[in-house]
Amino acid sequence: MRHLFCWSALLLLPGTVVAQDCHLSLRGHVYEAGINTPLAYATVSIKGIGKGAIADENGYFAITDLCENTLYTVEVSHVECAHYTRELKLTENTQIDFLLEHDKVLNEVLIRERAIAPPPTQAAVTVDKNDLENGRGLNLGETLKKLPGVSLLQTGATIAKPVIQGLHSNRIAIVNNNVVLEGQQWGSEHAPEVDPFTADRIQVIKGAAGIRYGVGAMGGAVVMTPAPLRKTAGANGWLSLGGFSNGLGGVAAGSADWRPGATKGPAFRLQGTLKRSGNLRAPNYWLGNTGAAEGNLFAMSTWARARQHHELSASYFNLKLGVMRAAHVGSLEQLTAAINAAVPANNDSVFRWAIQRPYQQVQHSTLKYNGIFHWNEKWKLNTQYSLQYNHRLEYDVVRKTGAAATRPQVSFDLWTNTLDAAIEHEPIRHWQGSTGIQGVYQYNTVGRGGFIPDYTGLSGALWWSERWRRYPNPWEVEFGARYDYRWNHATTDGSLRNLDTVVYFGGLSATLGLIYHLSEQFSLTAHSSTAFRPPHVNELFARGVHFAAGTYEEGFSGLQPERGWNNNLNLLYQHGQTYAALTLYYNRIQDYIYLNPGKEQVLTIRGPFPAYYYRQADATLRGVDASLNLPLHKNWILETRASILRAGRRAKDEVGNAYEDWLPLISPDRFQYGLRYLLPKYKGQESKGYVNVYASTVARQIRIPAEGLLKAAPAAFTLFNLDAGYKVQIGKFPLEIGINLQNLGNTAYRNYLNFFRLFADEPGFNAGLRMKLLLGKTGNN
Amino acid sequence: MFYNTKSTAKGIAALLLLSATFSACDKHDHGTEGELITTIQVHLTGPGLDKTFLWNDEDGDGGSVPAIDTIVLPPLTGSITCELSVFDRSKDPDENITEEIEAESADHLFTYTINGADFSITYADQDANGKNFGLKTLWVSDQPSTGSLNIKLFHEPSDKGNLNSPGGDEDFNVVFPVVIR
Repeated sequence: MRHLFCWSALLLLPGTVVAQDCHLSLRGHVYEAGINTPLAYATVSIKGIGKGAIADENGYFAITDLCENTLYTVEVSHVECAHYTRELKLTENTQIDFLLEHDKVLNEVLIRERAIAPPPTQAAVTVDKNDLENGRGLNLGETLKKLPGVSLLQTGATIAKPVIQGLHSNRIAIVNNNVVLEGQQWGSEHAPEVDPFTADRIQVIKGAAGIRYGVGAMGGAVVMTPAPLRKTAGANGWLSLGGFSNGLGGVAAGSADWRPGATKGPAFRLQGTLKRSGNLRAPNYWLGNTGAAEGNLFAMSTWARARQHHELSASYFNLKLGVMRAAHVGSLEQLTAAINAAVPANNDSVFRWAIQRPYQQVQHSTLKYNGIFHWNEKWKLNTQYSLQYNHRLEYDVVRKTGAAATRPQVSFDLWTNTLDAAIEHEPIRHWQGSTGIQGVYQYNTVGRGGFIPDYTGLSGALWWSERWRRYPNPWEVEFGARYDYRWNHATTDGSLRNLDTVVYFGGLSATLGLIYHLSEQFSLTAHSSTAFRPPHVNELFARGVHFAAGTYEEGFSGLQPERGWNNNLNLLYQHGQTYAALTLYYNRIQDYIYLNPGKEQVLTIRGPFPAYYYRQADATLRGVDASLNLPLHKNWILETRASILRAGRRAKDEVGNAYEDWLPLISPDRFQYGLRYLLPKYKGQESKGYVNVYASTVARQIRIPAEGLLKAAPAAFTLFNLDAGYKVQIGKFPLEIGINLQNLGNTAYRNYLNFFRLFADEPGFNAGLRMKLLLGKTGNN
Repeated sequence: MFYNTKSTAKGIAALLLLSATFSACDKHDHGTEGELITTIQVHLTGPGLDKTFLWNDEDGDGGSVPAIDTIVLPPLTGSITCELSVFDRSKDPDENITEEIEAESADHLFTYTINGADFSITYADQDANGKNFGLKTLWVSDQPSTGSLNIKLFHEPSDKGNLNSPGGDEDFNVVFPVVIR
């Protein structure tokens, strides 16, 4: 550890003894203010030294070989706009976006400076803006599942959680507005408690992201970021309405932004979502009790002063979710009968709005304060405190009537306090990075009937990460290290037995990433990391029958932390509308925690159940994610995606010979292919609309563990879908209209990664229509 | 530079305090109604017979193995009355669930399946609608033999006439060894 600190001190030492650096660059874009369209052929020149550049079609320019700490006068000009000059002293590679405004007076010029957020060195994909808008009203999973390498682990049609390159739940992090979501993630039927409407950008980081997001991100992270608040005085907002034919669902959401005064004062946002849907329909029958009701609120405010930036935000998520009645079984005998039924048994095949038992009622509240304090131009302190309260009630089918029949059967309460403090620095000798500490206090109560025990948890972390970039040097380097310590005290289990067991684990994570830019368009990224993940409380202490799976599950308090070795290689080509990305990954996890089938069944009062015990073995997940978008002719673009994954673990046969067995619940090979048509552009403006027809094919999973399945893996299927969007002007206000048609052929199919595939088909054809009215100009310039 | 640090710190302290207050709520009063059936009691009375047999799993699913008594019947005996009782013994004091089941007899059905042992069971009660219920039954034993008895409780059965597959949910499903000697 001492060596590490010496090294860091050396690295961060300001290089006063080094000669003046004349390899700095000034890059950026020139846009037309207001409509944000690139100003091609704008000239950016530096007076007096004869250096300059002409912006390309995308408004992009780059001027290299500038010296540090020298005063330059930058002049930006365009035929249709006024000249703009600015004095500038560079201390580092700098990116500036110039916004030129040409109104009738031709004299107003605005400038915006943007901090460069370096892209992660892991493979990362961002949800396409059109797909994000078109997924509004659907759950987060539906929006994510189009991304290569991302699949969904489902419990029926309404509960979906993201799976990144084969890992999910305790191994990936959902990050919403810079807060790592702390719910009851361990449960497969516990969907993430987030409102996708609050996100302006959803990015999926594939591969270990633990340095930044903690031990829960060893497999990756889903990062949701809200739109920034207004930077200029005024108010704006939007109103969104949507309807879905399957389940007669409706959604209404609205958001209002307001900044009363100048840039340095406060700014506010208030946002809300209401959703309601009834029973969904599979092609041949209704899926009884699959309705949902959701209501969410989000409020956010920022306050900026000369060298400080404060943000306070609060969110509330409330969901009532029906669980398909046909999936509710009491014993193995009933489970077998339900599995073998050609048409779901115990299913009320009618349309109904009412949500009956069994259902879930989940609330998640978050309060967050973030404060950024600038010491000087280079250094700042970033602090954050967040409080999360997850309240989850599960209502089972009960015998009782009267007052007792209104009460839930299981109740989870999870309080999470997280305190973060980080020191961040702008590039110093081309190194940009941050170092920080984190403390988490968690308090979980389950009470009677819980699958997991009550516990308190304390964890702490210390981390450091640095990134080297020196444009136009084609190499970029990133490294990071983190030490995590977690202490858990399990107090009482679901039968109110006193466990009183303390477990604690500490471990190191580290990461190294390299990017090589072959050209402006083509880059190659290699990323290696080692991740540490302590066993979660459910893996240590869970005990009970998981009825949906028809299994008895038992934790093992002797589990050791997992150690992951994640490698990925990423090729990215981007030029105009051509986009090609190829990710190869090899993820080895030592002491991977999984459910191992026991030799004997466990006898319960509801009969015998097959028993599964949490055990550890080395596992390997390796795969390929690929995307290709190719403009075919004028406005026609071919879009294809493929995800292939092989995952296995070391196992021993009866006589003790080692062999590799497949891991359960791994997504079969998936392909998506389609055509996107963009309406022709007029006068250099954005295209007004698009139509996207695509098909997705999912193969049959043939790589299943030796103990087999309760029911054979479902057959391969292909679904056809259509998305379309169009922008019109209603008086002063732009209106976006979207159509989303899913499962056009009304195909009956089942999905291997859906637990309820044992009982019923997936929903059939669904037509969605949405409208979004934008009110007022966004004030982000 | 940090002219506001003090008030910020105060704010954070207030939030921490707030969360501590919330966390301090009573741990187990969740207002839940998680029913757990742990114990089935078979009470047999007849000529010279007054015995109880238990199927008992007080710690719930998993953990220690359930304790199961072997039901011993005298051979060639008619009119043995069997009364079932259902308990939740994980609670203190024990909760007797029998009365609730009896109060909602129309929504419940007990079924009995004999395997191997030489005796017969007939229903000795009816539910509120005059249909099969099965809390009380009449047993008649024959020759000495061994086997087992499978007792199930169905909740909201769709067809009380079909004792093999009445529908609804199984609340319990237990097997007692039976010896007639």
